Amino acid sequence: MSTNPATSTAITPDETIVKKKLGVGFWLCVTWLGLMAFIALFTPLLPLKSPTQNFLDPANGRPPYSPSWKHWFGSDKDARDVFARTLHGARISLTVGFAAITAGFLVGGTVGVISGYFKGWIDRISSFVFIVLLSFPSLVLAILLTSLIERSLLTISLVLGLLSIAPVGRLARAATLQFADREFVLAARQIGATNRRIIIKEILPNVAIPMSSLALLGMAVAVVAEGGLSFLGLSVEKGITWGGLIQLGSESSKTLEEAPWIAFFPILMLFLTVLSLNFAGDRVRNYFDVKETTL
Amino acid sequence: MRYYVQRVALAILLLLAVSMLTFGALNVLGDPLFNILGPVAGDVNNPESVEMINTAKREFNLDRSLPVRYGLWVSDFVQGDFGVTFSSTGQPPVSGVISERLPRTISLVLMAQFFAIFVSIPWALITASRAGKVSDRISTINAFFLVAMPNFAIAVILKFVFSIKLDWMPLTYKADDPLSSRIFQMVLPALTIGLPVAAVYQRLLRTDLITTLQQDFILLARTKGLSKWRILFVHALRPSLFSFITVVGLNTGALIGGSIVSETVFRIPGIGSTLVESVLRNDFPVVLAIVMIVASSFVIINLLVDFAYTLIDPRVRR
Repeated sequence: MSTNPATSTAITPDETIVKKKLGVGFWLCVTWLGLMAFIALFTPLLPLKSPTQNFLDPANGRPPYSPSWKHWFGSDKDARDVFARTLHGARISLTVGFAAITAGFLVGGTVGVISGYFKGWIDRISSFVFIVLLSFPSLVLAILLTSLIERSLLTISLVLGLLSIAPVGRLARAATLQFADREFVLAARQIGATNRRIIIKEILPNVAIPMSSLALLGMAVAVVAEGGLSFLGLSVEKGITWGGLIQLGSESSKTLEEAPWIAFFPILMLFLTVLSLNFAGDRVRNYFDVKETTL
Repeated sequence: MRYYVQRVALAILLLLAVSMLTFGALNVLGDPLFNILGPVAGDVNNPESVEMINTAKREFNLDRSLPVRYGLWVSDFVQGDFGVTFSSTGQPPVSGVISERLPRTISLVLMAQFFAIFVSIPWALITASRAGKVSDRISTINAFFLVAMPNFAIAVILKFVFSIKLDWMPLTYKADDPLSSRIFQMVLPALTIGLPVAAVYQRLLRTDLITTLQQDFILLARTKGLSKWRILFVHALRPSLFSFITVVGLNTGALIGGSIVSETVFRIPGIGSTLVESVLRNDFPVVLAIVMIVASSFVIINLLVDFAYTLIDPRVRR
């Protein structure tokens, strides 16, 4: 096989230097996510209509009003502006998604790396805790916990963060195990580096690469989970969420039939955001996998 | 043999941990006394309320310590007594609610799983045999779209298109209808759960099929002149099913999560929608029973998947 000309010519220098690209789709997704993040951060400052004001317009008959120049996404039954409400909804959905995955990475990532590095009883205990957390279907665990707490932005983020601990922790542990016995780690230990230094300087940079795509994919899961909770009426009690808007627009089939825009614009926003997170995460994973094999 | 014993022991340990966590969470974070009596629980100055509090404490064993209560609850639970619902009368008992509603959820989940499998296998076979071509790329994009669509959004879209606009499907589930129409009423709810799962299965199976199709025995089958579909169905599908079967088993959790949403949208009185209602009503024995049933069946299904896996590939046992 080694003399096969086909295989030997396959690895020409030209081909190994082929530039790995993230592609146009990736940058489109990043643009959309950037736009959403901007909206989430600066909603109160944007020149939007008030999301709670009733824009009754007697000349137009009874609300809900269909989409028009005045109300881009139409209005709901109380004549509130769906466009303004949808943009306001980005705030809670994205904040919860981001906070949850950050919390999951801080706790799950730390525990995972430590148990993968030290192994032994720490590893056994943390692995068992991860399995226990994974024994609940995630939505069921989320509902169980949200039923017991006051549902605020912080607590919902923490609940969803708790849910992401186990998947994040398992991946971090697996990635750490791959590197824990590699030559560069042994070398660092030989010259007297402390465990702390080895973890931070040698292990973390390597583990961070496979984890980066999980951050995006995990945030997508958290955004969907928040949407599901608020759709069921179990997310942040005060405030506008995409799930809550969709629920409001689809609660009665009469509303859905007469004014589908109330539910469908938030669905579109949620869909595009989750799609962007998934797609970007997938591209990042492919991008780094290629790099890993050429190492 | 040792492998099986270890797996069963782990499963039992998991069930214990899960039940302690659920019971502990509801008893420590929640306030069971308040859940039983409502505002009366805080009214300690009124002798009448105090009387009620004491009766309730005795009746629900709340005057015992937490481990004792846990023990009592577990021994009741394994005997099928899930306690009474927190209503003024305590009727119907939780086990009655569960035994009435659990079959609906089980049939919904099975139907969703059925749809997901029977959509994903042909889909994966077609796309894997044309890997890289235009139709395959379009299907990849479609799968991406489906996965990015949260199931409550799918439910709303399906309801809007098929029940409202086209008027092909019934809007909601009616528990008193004859079996045939109830099955028909479950199609949209099952599709809601099954469609995104089908996309997940398809992507996995497609990858495995592509790997199988590059093997020598496929080349041999092809040189023998067998038809393309015969090769795909008879020769390529079976060896590609290993990880598919595992994921089908493991996805039961996602299906149960999906059934919560789907039952709520389509008004199916299963345990998923009951869970949400009970949470909103603070009916804690019902929540406890449903969470326990769901989590334990999830643990047991995972155990069975592991065992099924050893039957397909005996190397796992070692």
